Amino acid sequence: MGRIQLHDIRKSFGAVDVLKGIDLTVDEGELVVFVGPSGCGKSTLLRMIAGLDQPTAGRIEIDGTDVTPRSAADRGLAMVFQSYALYPHMTVRANMAFGLQNTRMPKAEIDTRIAEAARMLEIEPLLERRPGQLSGGQRQRVAIGRAIVRRPTAFLLDEPLSNLDAELRVSMRAELSALHDRLGATMIHVTHDQVEAMTMADRIVVLRAGKVEQVDTPLNLFNRPANLFVAGFIGAPGMNLWAGQAKGGSVQLDNGAMLPLPVGLAVPDGAVTLGIRPQHLRPQAGGPLQAKVRLIEALGPESVVHADMGAGNGLLAVLPGQPDLARGAVIELGYDPQSVHVFGADGQRLG
Amino acid sequence: MSRVMGFLTRRKGGTGWDWTDVFTFVWLGSAVFIMFGPALWLVMSSFKSPAQLSEFPPTLLPYEAQVVTVEGYDRPLPLFSVTDEAGTRTLAEVRRVGTVAQMVDPENPTEVQRINIANRTPVREVGFSWGNYLDPFLRFDFLTYTKNSIFVTGVATLITLLTNSMAAFALSKYEFRGRGFVVVLIIATLMIPLSVILVPLYSIVSGVGLINSLWGVILPTVATPTGVFLLRQYMLTIPDELLEAARMDHASEWQIYWRIVLPLTAPALAVLAIFSVVWRWNDFLWPLIVLSRQEVYTLQVGLNAYAGELNVQWHYLLAMTVITMIPVVLVFIFLQRFITAGIAGTGLK
Amino acid sequence: MTGVKEVLGAVVAAPLGWLARLLDTPLRLWQRLAGQNGMVAFFLLPNMAIFTVFVLLPLVINIAYSMTTGAALFLPERTYVGAAQFERLLRCTDYTDLMTCQEDQFWIALRNTGTFVVLQVTLLIVAATITALILNRALRALSFWRAVFFFPVLLSPVVVGLIWRWILDRNGVLNAALVGMGMDPVNWLLERNYAFSAAIGVTIWAHLGFFALILLAGLQAIPRDLYEAAEMDGTKPARVFWRITLPLLMPNMLVVIVLALIRAVQVFDEAYVLTGGGPGTATLFLTQYIYEVGFASLLKNPGLAAAASILMGGVLIVLTLLQLALGRKNERKGKLK
Repeated sequence: MGRIQLHDIRKSFGAVDVLKGIDLTVDEGELVVFVGPSGCGKSTLLRMIAGLDQPTAGRIEIDGTDVTPRSAADRGLAMVFQSYALYPHMTVRANMAFGLQNTRMPKAEIDTRIAEAARMLEIEPLLERRPGQLSGGQRQRVAIGRAIVRRPTAFLLDEPLSNLDAELRVSMRAELSALHDRLGATMIHVTHDQVEAMTMADRIVVLRAGKVEQVDTPLNLFNRPANLFVAGFIGAPGMNLWAGQAKGGSVQLDNGAMLPLPVGLAVPDGAVTLGIRPQHLRPQAGGPLQAKVRLIEALGPESVVHADMGAGNGLLAVLPGQPDLARGAVIELGYDPQSVHVFGADGQRLG
Repeated sequence: MSRVMGFLTRRKGGTGWDWTDVFTFVWLGSAVFIMFGPALWLVMSSFKSPAQLSEFPPTLLPYEAQVVTVEGYDRPLPLFSVTDEAGTRTLAEVRRVGTVAQMVDPENPTEVQRINIANRTPVREVGFSWGNYLDPFLRFDFLTYTKNSIFVTGVATLITLLTNSMAAFALSKYEFRGRGFVVVLIIATLMIPLSVILVPLYSIVSGVGLINSLWGVILPTVATPTGVFLLRQYMLTIPDELLEAARMDHASEWQIYWRIVLPLTAPALAVLAIFSVVWRWNDFLWPLIVLSRQEVYTLQVGLNAYAGELNVQWHYLLAMTVITMIPVVLVFIFLQRFITAGIAGTGLK
Repeated sequence: MTGVKEVLGAVVAAPLGWLARLLDTPLRLWQRLAGQNGMVAFFLLPNMAIFTVFVLLPLVINIAYSMTTGAALFLPERTYVGAAQFERLLRCTDYTDLMTCQEDQFWIALRNTGTFVVLQVTLLIVAATITALILNRALRALSFWRAVFFFPVLLSPVVVGLIWRWILDRNGVLNAALVGMGMDPVNWLLERNYAFSAAIGVTIWAHLGFFALILLAGLQAIPRDLYEAAEMDGTKPARVFWRITLPLLMPNMLVVIVLALIRAVQVFDEAYVLTGGGPGTATLFLTQYIYEVGFASLLKNPGLAAAASILMGGVLIVLTLLQLALGRKNERKGKLK
C-alpha cells in the first residue's frame, strides 16, 4: 500500500507551463523529497498528488488505480501544510478528530487513534488546548498528528519545517525521519532546503522549472550530479564550477591554470565545465590552483575561504582547522583528480 | 472627590488653561445635556399622567395628585391645599363649576365650602403612572405590534446571516465563471436605497401576495449587499490552506462552510447580526408601505399611526416610544464595543 | 458572559447544528453529482434569488414603470406613455417661479431637499469634525464620551422624531425653558423656518455620532510621531491642524462627506415623523414626495413616483460613483505607503 506513480504530469496556467511532463514512481514506504529553487513547481506537483489541483494532462496512480479524477477527500492521503493549517477554533483533540468524524468512524476508535498518536508525538498534555496557545514546534507536531490518525496511504508534507527556527528544525528533521522509520509509510516531502533533503530522503527528486533534473539517493546526488544544475544546487557551500577547454587529459581555465582530469576519464577536446567541491580542495605548495584570498569565514573546526583566481573566476575552499591566512594573501591549492566532476557543453555530466 | 476634581480640571498638558481646554469642556458638557437630555426627558415624561403632561411649564419629575376617600362620596377625591382669608388648610374637591370649586374637609365631610380655584394648589407627591405602560398592552394592540417587531427582527436577522454568509463563502472561496460579475453587481447595489425602488418593489411584493404579511417586510431586506460585502471581505482573510486541510480531511464543501468557515467568521457575523437587529427593529418606510392592517403593524408603524391621530394620546405614545427604544438601548449598552469597532472598520450603518 | 454564551448555544446553535448535520448527507450526494460548481450554485442560490427578485428586478422594472401611467399595479396592465411622466415632473412654464410648474410639489420637494442637503451636510460635517478632534485629545473615559455622541445613532427614526416632537411641542420643555428665561414661546413645528431648522437639527442630532466615529478612526490612524516631529520643529498648533491633521484626515473626510450627502438626499423618516412634511410643504422632501405620490395620496400615480425615484437614483448613483472613485484613490495611496 502506498505506491504512487506519476505519468507525464503537465500543468499550465494560461500560457505558462508550470510542469512540463513529470514521470515518477514513489515506492511503498519510501521517503521521497522534492527539492528545487522556489518556483520550480515542487509544491504544485505535491498539490496535484493531493488532489487539491488538477493536472492539465497526465495520470496519477495510487497502488495501480488511476485517481486523477478523484477529489482530494477520496484519495486517502494526508497532508501537512507549510502553515500547518490547524483549525484555530477547535482544540487539538478536535483538530485530530475532525477528519475521522467525517468518515463516520465510531467514537471509541477515534479516541484510541488520537491517544496513540498523541503518545507517539508527546502532545498528550496539549490535547485540550487550541492552536493559538501552542508554540510553533507544538503546532507542527499537532499537524503531523492530524495526519497520522488518518492512517493515510501516504503522507504529503509541504515545507513543514520552514516556519520553525533553526534549532527546532534540526530536531524536528530527526524526529520526522524517526517517525517515517516507525510508521513505514510512504512520505513525500517538499522543501527548498537541501540539507533537509539530504538528511531525510531515501531518494531526492531535484526539480527545476517544471522538469525533473535528477532522481537519486542523497549520496549519489552529491557524488555524481547528473548535470550542472544539480551539481551547483546540492552541497553547501556550492561546488566550484569553472569553464575551460579540455585538452589531452587536463583542462585549461581562462586564467591559464591547467587542471588535471581524473585518470581514465575520456573527455573529448573542447569546451567543458569543471567542478570541484570546496571540501575537496587542500593546501598544496605549487598546486595547480593559485588564488588571492578575499574573505575568510572562520567557523572553528573549518574555515571557508573565498578567493579570486583572476579572469573573473572565483574560488571557494573549505579548509580544515584554522589556517593562518590574511586577506590578500595568495594560496596554492591542489586536489585529488578523482574528485573532479566534468560537464560537457550541454551541461550534462561526462563519464 | 479630589479625583473627580482632578479629572474635571485635566488640561492639555503643561500649565494654565488653553482656549482649547475651555472649548472642550463646553462642547462635551453641552453634548451630555443635548444628547442624553431628550431621551431622559422622554423617559421622565412617559411616567406622567395626561393631566400632568398638559401642564405648562412642565415639572421635571412625574407627580401624582393625592386623593382621599371621603365618607359619602363613592370615588376618591383629589386633595388641594387652599390658602384664603380663612387661612391655609387641606381640602378635597367634590366638583368644579367654572372658577369655583366645591370642596370638603376630609375630617368634616358634610360641610361643603365654595373656593375660588385661584386660591388653591393640588397636593402632589412623586408618583409614576404605570398605566401608561400597561394600558397600551392590555387595551390596545401594542402587544401584537411588539410580537410582530420581534418576529420580523429575529427571522430577518437569521435569514440574513445564513444567506449572506453562504453567498459570501461562495464569492470568496471558489473560483468560478462570473464571480467577478456577481461581486461587482453586489458592490454596485450597495448604495441603492430602498426609496429608489419603492414603487416596483411594492408591485413585486404585491405580485407574490405578501402585502400585509410580515414576510413582505422581511424578504426584501434580507439579501443585503452590505452583509455579503462585509462577510466576504472577512472571509477573504481566512487562509485557503485551512479549507484544503479540511478537504484532505474528507470534509464535504457544506461541512467546510459550516464547521470551518462559519465559526472563523464569527466576529464579522456578530457585527452583522447586531446591525441587522438594529436595522430591522428600526425599519419604518418599507413596513409603512407594506403593512396597512393594524394586526400586522410593527412597533414603528404602530407608533407612527398613534402619533398621527387627531388627538394624540401623548401619555401612551411616550410610554410606547420608551418601550420601542429599550432593545436598541440594551444592544448599545452591552455591545457598544462591537458596534463602534464595526463602524470604524467598515463604515456600516 | 459565559452564561449568555451557553444559553445562546443551547437555544440557537444546537438546533442549527442538528439541522446542518441533517443536511450533510443530501449535500454530499449533491456535491458528488454536481461537483464543485454545483456547490457554488447551492451556496449562492438563496441570496441571489432574493437579491434578484427584490433588488435587481425592481431596479430594472422601475425604468419601465416610469414610462407608464394609470392606477394598475402590475406592469403588463399599465399604459405606455413614453417620457410623459418625466415631462410632467420637469415641465414649468416659468422656471423662476415654481408655482407655474405642472408638478409644483416635486419642485418644492426638490428645492427643500437641496437646501436641506447643503445646510445639513455642512453643519453635520463641521460638528462631526469638531467632535472627533475633541475625542481624539487623549481624553480619559473616551468610551463614555464616544457613547454620549453615538447613543442616538441606533435609535429608530420614529423614536427620534417622536422624542423631538415632544420637546418642540408648543407646550414642550424647550418653550418652557424659553419662557423661564423671559422669552416668548415659539411654535417650533408650525412655523416654516423653525420647522425646517428643526428637521436639520434633529437629523444632525441623530447622525452626528456616526460620522464623528469614522472621522475619529481616521484621526487615530495618524501616526503620533508626526505630531511629535512637528512639535520638535516648533510648529504652531493651528498650523499643525491645517498642514498635518487635515490633509491626513482627508481620505476619511471625503468618505464621510459623500456618505452624508447620500443620506441627506434620502432624508425621510425622522423628518416625516417630526413634521409630516409641514407646515404646508415647508419640510416636504423628495422621498416623502415619492411615498405620497406612489402610495399615500388619494390620486396615486405610481408611474410618476417611479419617474421621480429614477431622478433621485441618478443623483445617488453619481454620488456613489464619486465615493467608489475616492475609495479607489485612497486604496492606491495606501498601497504606495
